[in-house]
Amino acid sequence: MRFLILFALLFAFIHAEAQLGDEMEDETKFYAQTKQVNQFFRRFNGEENGKGDRYNPGDRQYRNVKLRKKYLGMLFDESNRTFSNDLKVEFAKDVLDKGAPGILDFHGAGWMAEVQTVFSVAGKDQPVTLFMQLEPDHLGYKWVIAKVYSDIFATYFKRDTTKVGQFLHPMSHELQFMNLRKAFMNVDSVAQFASKGFVPEYITLFLYEMKKGTMKFKYVSDVKFHFFQINGWYFELADFNRPGYNTGWLISNLVKINNDRDKEALRKFIYHENP
Amino acid sequence: MFRIKYCLSILLAAFVAANLSAQNADISPQRKQAIDSLALEKVRDLSKYISIIGNKKTPYSEATRVMDRAEELFIPGSEMGVSSISTKEVNYYKVRKYFERLMALNYDRVSIQWYDIHYISDLERQPDGRYVGVVTIYQRFEGVSDDGLKYKDTTKKDITIYVERKKTQIAGRTIEFWDVLLGDIRVTETSA
Repeated sequence: MRFLILFALLFAFIHAEAQLGDEMEDETKFYAQTKQVNQFFRRFNGEENGKGDRYNPGDRQYRNVKLRKKYLGMLFDESNRTFSNDLKVEFAKDVLDKGAPGILDFHGAGWMAEVQTVFSVAGKDQPVTLFMQLEPDHLGYKWVIAKVYSDIFATYFKRDTTKVGQFLHPMSHELQFMNLRKAFMNVDSVAQFASKGFVPEYITLFLYEMKKGTMKFKYVSDVKFHFFQINGWYFELADFNRPGYNTGWLISNLVKINNDRDKEALRKFIYHENP
Repeated sequence: MFRIKYCLSILLAAFVAANLSAQNADISPQRKQAIDSLALEKVRDLSKYISIIGNKKTPYSEATRVMDRAEELFIPGSEMGVSSISTKEVNYYKVRKYFERLMALNYDRVSIQWYDIHYISDLERQPDGRYVGVVTIYQRFEGVSDDGLKYKDTTKKDITIYVERKKTQIAGRTIEFWDVLLGDIRVTETSA
């Protein structure tokens, strides 16, 4: 009897261990996953082996075209049908061009982070987008806030410039602009008295509200990156936390840019700036 | 035991230092490899400490002692940012608080295991001259209560490492070495 109990216990133990072992065994998906943005750079450029060990300049495999081709194939979000396979092939051809290969430069211009955050404003959770860039400073580099966008700011600057609306007449200067008193009585129409070309800088408002203590940071809800570093192309990088092998930091959007005007329009779209 | 470990760590750091040039601020690939080993050593120590703290069989006094050791791996003010699949919200805890919460988890049996895989980023220099990198590791957690309720998850831990050149006196000689300390950790529940 005692032997049977011992056997049953031993069996249960081995079974439990095996079960946990099975779950632990499948590490291949973690190898496949692009685990860090740093790894995206290295894979894109062909600067590491399958285990994630770095290749350095001078190593035979460093930026090897075959290696890059292999990695590039797994750096796209495969669930995304908005960009075609043909577009991906065209992009890969440009990136792997032997004469002028497209290499990503961590310290270079032409890429930025879009950080979705949540702030508490007057007791209410409000989303705020921070656009961050790497900037050289003293002995190294740091991320800085380049631009800010939030609906809580944007609503104050909405105005229709197609209508005649409110204005200060052209002889106001002769009266020491005394009509400003009437102009500023209705706060809703104040924005109409600003120049047509006026573009609000939300970062100034953001810093002001933070200093005043009216905005309190809560958490970062999402991060993605925008790349303009490959000549003639734009792509977006996002993190995919899901089962399977096509996970981690992957290209989530790809757009061919034909000229500088397209590029500027895209940049303005990302920053929520009116074209 | 922990003191011995600490001394060994210093010696390892000094050994790394022996192979490093004191003049050049750039990190050569060989130096990077040596620093990576040191960083991994610290991360493995942390993994071990987390397993001990989370183990329900660890006596309270022992867990407290291990928490002290674990805290020494970090630069002051380090935080853990924890999120789950179900929500976008991230909860931030000071490292000590995170350990205390881990110890107080309401399970009767806890199993914490670590996947063999790790990923070490490049080292980037920050404005104050220190280098910073990120080590990614994966942890499997399983908690079971006596009434049979089971919770399990796999989390990805992105651990900040700070690398700094320091000086120490050994037998009257000044030796420069590279020290590694841990910083903020982002803990993400994975869908794996």
